[in-house]
Amino acid sequence: MAGAESDLLQGTLDVLILKALALQELHGMGVSRRIGQMTNGAFDVKAGSLFPALHRMEQAGWLTSSWGHAETNRRAKFYALTKAGRKHLRTETNRWARISLAMGAALGVGQEAL
Amino acid sequence: MISRLRAFWNNLFRRKQLDRDLDEELQAYVELVAAEKLRSGMDPEEAHRQARRQTGGIDQVVQNVRDLRTGVGLDRLAQDVKFGLRTLAKNPTFSLVAAGTLALGIGANTAMFSLLDQVVLKLLPVSHPEQLVIVRETGNHFGNSYGPNTISWPMFEDLRDNNQVFSGMFCRFPASVAIGYGDRAGQISAELVSSAYFQTLGVRAILGRTISHDDDSVPDSKPVVVLSYSFWQSYFGADPHVVGRTFAINGHPMTVIGVAQPGFDGVEMGNPAKVFVPIMMKTEMTPHSDGLKDRRRRLSWVTAYGRLKPGLTAEQAQASLQPLLHGILEIEAQQPEFTRSATSADRQVFLRNRIQLLSGSDNGLREDMRTPLWLLLALTGAVLLLACANLANLFLARATAREREFAVRLAIGAGRARIVRQLLVESLLLSGGGTLVGLALAFVADRTLLRIYLPADAVNEFAVSPIPDVRVLAFAVGVMLLTSVVFGLLPAVRSSRTEITPSLGDRSGALSAGGTSLRRILVGIQMSLSLLLLFAAGLFVRTLRNLENVGPGFPTGHLLTFTTTPTLSGYSYDETKSWYERLSVNLQAMPGVESVALSTMPILRGFAWQNAILGKSFEGMPIEQQPCLSQVSPDYFTTLGIPLIAGRAFTPRDVAPTDYAVVNESFAREYFPRRNPVGQRFGLVDDMRTVTPNTEIIGVIADTKYRDLRETPHAQAYFPYLAISNIRGMTAYVRTKGDPREFENALRERMRQFDPHVPVVDLQTVTEQIGFSLRTERLVASLSAVFGGVATLLAVIGLYGVMAYAVLRRTREIGIRIALGALRSNVVAMIMREVLLLIGCGSAAGVVLALALASLIRSQLYGLNARDPSTLIGAAIVLALAAGLAGLIPALRASSVDPTTALRQE
Repeated sequence: MAGAESDLLQGTLDVLILKALALQELHGMGVSRRIGQMTNGAFDVKAGSLFPALHRMEQAGWLTSSWGHAETNRRAKFYALTKAGRKHLRTETNRWARISLAMGAALGVGQEAL
Repeated sequence: MISRLRAFWNNLFRRKQLDRDLDEELQAYVELVAAEKLRSGMDPEEAHRQARRQTGGIDQVVQNVRDLRTGVGLDRLAQDVKFGLRTLAKNPTFSLVAAGTLALGIGANTAMFSLLDQVVLKLLPVSHPEQLVIVRETGNHFGNSYGPNTISWPMFEDLRDNNQVFSGMFCRFPASVAIGYGDRAGQISAELVSSAYFQTLGVRAILGRTISHDDDSVPDSKPVVVLSYSFWQSYFGADPHVVGRTFAINGHPMTVIGVAQPGFDGVEMGNPAKVFVPIMMKTEMTPHSDGLKDRRRRLSWVTAYGRLKPGLTAEQAQASLQPLLHGILEIEAQQPEFTRSATSADRQVFLRNRIQLLSGSDNGLREDMRTPLWLLLALTGAVLLLACANLANLFLARATAREREFAVRLAIGAGRARIVRQLLVESLLLSGGGTLVGLALAFVADRTLLRIYLPADAVNEFAVSPIPDVRVLAFAVGVMLLTSVVFGLLPAVRSSRTEITPSLGDRSGALSAGGTSLRRILVGIQMSLSLLLLFAAGLFVRTLRNLENVGPGFPTGHLLTFTTTPTLSGYSYDETKSWYERLSVNLQAMPGVESVALSTMPILRGFAWQNAILGKSFEGMPIEQQPCLSQVSPDYFTTLGIPLIAGRAFTPRDVAPTDYAVVNESFAREYFPRRNPVGQRFGLVDDMRTVTPNTEIIGVIADTKYRDLRETPHAQAYFPYLAISNIRGMTAYVRTKGDPREFENALRERMRQFDPHVPVVDLQTVTEQIGFSLRTERLVASLSAVFGGVATLLAVIGLYGVMAYAVLRRTREIGIRIALGALRSNVVAMIMREVLLLIGCGSAAGVVLALALASLIRSQLYGLNARDPSTLIGAAIVLALAAGLAGLIPALRASSVDPTTALRQE
């Protein structure tokens, strides 16, 4: 599974990025790694989708960015959640909870039917 | 929202910085990935290589991020504009021709719209002008009237005090008054206004105060005056201490109480008021008549205005006022001044009169100019449409030439929408440039037109200015967008349908058929439109000719005229009468003068004095049928050159004991058919007293025009001025031996010496006066002729373009035909068949359109039918000849095709 770019559901990437940034501010690579950890390597977000998403979300006002220093002391751009971003994360989390419950029920997950 | 705006701002103005940041951010990403790989024990070179591969093309990521940026559309637009400008600059002739055509078209439309807007569309510069209405009474008023929109003073009071529909009501009367400055005298326009005037209009004073109720409650009590802003500036040099100053109007000292707000010149645009005087000062302002104090209900002279209460429509108000009017009419019909002259049948007619509410911004000028100006705007619109058709043709031809370019762009992935947009941007650039130049042209055109149309001294005072305002600019921009769509969109959509493969393939010089049928339809439309314009031009030019040719019915070559009103300079009636006797003698003695005539009514100036007459076999009639009257000096008919047909003219002795009259042929025919009119008697109906028919006809003159050149001969009666006692002013007619124009200055000087206190007004030759009275007709005729010519030229160019292109495209086919033995004449005939088909179809459509639209301009014509067949045929012949010649050129070129060259092209 790892290494293959999963077809992320529309909107999934946004929630993942928000969640990744919920604890601390991160630079682009950091966000990518964090998503990898959070999903046990199921999602490997590549630069081609990550950066457009980050810039889009910044324009939407969910993220702010500032320049800082990464682990290697390299200058990098760090992203952090704004108030609006946190609010969006909450509503999206609720939505996902409902969807996954519904999907789980529909597909009979946990009944070992397959 | 704010973050979006900030992003938008940054994207627009800090693009470089953003791009640098993005580069650095991505660079950092690659390095961080590489560093991670290094840590896991990979060798540095391999780590960097993998990191870069994993990132997957920095450029593509950069492009993806850029595409997300807010305002990226603007970015692309800038690209399109840059590219468009480059394309247009590559073909400067095309661009200049296109932009020039548009500049002319948009300029002409803007110029006409500017005039139409200011004269016809704009409402008065008062608060909520849409609530303001003129209250008039329709039908026969059975009395004397100062104009179609006037009512009597008592009726105004009744309506003002008893209506439920107006939040305020006032009335006004325009008067010409004399003011003295230095040793010279002049006449200015005054507006006599009732007390609620300024308050109801919502017009403030910028200095002092406006007329209050106290100023206007007791007749002759308050000699106060409010100045118009422009008069305050020109006459008082914008003196800030003008309030309280006194100056003489008609010899009466009047105190200035205020200056009205700038831009407000009274309620009649064509006749801007300089001063506003309480209507209670009527006697002082107009010494000749006094409908205010004698309270005659059969004399209508004030124009009444009302401001509708909020939420009321004019129809509702009209319905509510009708019973009120009916009550007033019932009372009036009982009064002796009505019953004295009216029959019981008249009474029935009278009681059917109705209230009518007109827009408060209506006035004579607006009424007269409405149709001509709309007409001229329609003509310029048609010309612009023609120009657009030509441009669309040009664009179609160019689009065909650019097919390869579009195919390449489509092949490398441009969307069709992008190509349509690119072409639209190009047409917008052209029309934008055209509009800028067009606005300048419009200004020049309007200034020139106003100079031609108005007397030199009136241009600056006229409410219409050539300077474009916001509304005119909005119109110009609207026209610009519309034209871009009309001439740009069609070709653009066509071009975007370009097929990639055939266009890129080697087509060995064959031209594609792209848009040929579309272009033919465009040419057909052009033909029909220009036929329409030529036809209109023909009608208007012939109307002008007809009016110039009919003339007034007497020779005008050696006549000078001017008007004086001594009563306004403080002379009594007796003094005025002797003043004119002395004037006659004085002018008669002037070298170069053949004879001098005087008349209380100026002729051919649109005025008329009409009164019902009664005789043994006829009495009272509606005003439209009442004869036109005047009081004249004994030499009047000989001086004007009006032939006497029967009886004799006046002599100085015709003053008593009988009243004498000279009538024209129409009068004699109408009232005394099949009888010798000389010796018959009639009387003027008077609401103040009972009249017996005791005025004796002593002579009959030929019919001449009285009010204007357009009228059909009307019944006229003339009385000797010497027999009447209340002359307030007269118009003089001087017949000169030499050229009257060389005489003007000498006459002006002689009048100054004769009496410097009486201003001489409207001194000009009668020929000039007639020419001036035809200025609207001349304006319409000359402009429509120009537009017709331009339209034909455009249509002919369009036809030529399409045919030339068709011949070029068929060169090979024609070559084959000739090689196979077709005669040159056959080839010419083949091409000309197509040309004539285009002309024929276009003209046929044009004829149908012309006949359908003819009724719209009927009121503007004189002496010919709006569907005049000879004019229509003439227009069709002119168009067919011009277009046929234009088609012949490509036809001849086709016939001279050399078959060997044509076939080798392949």
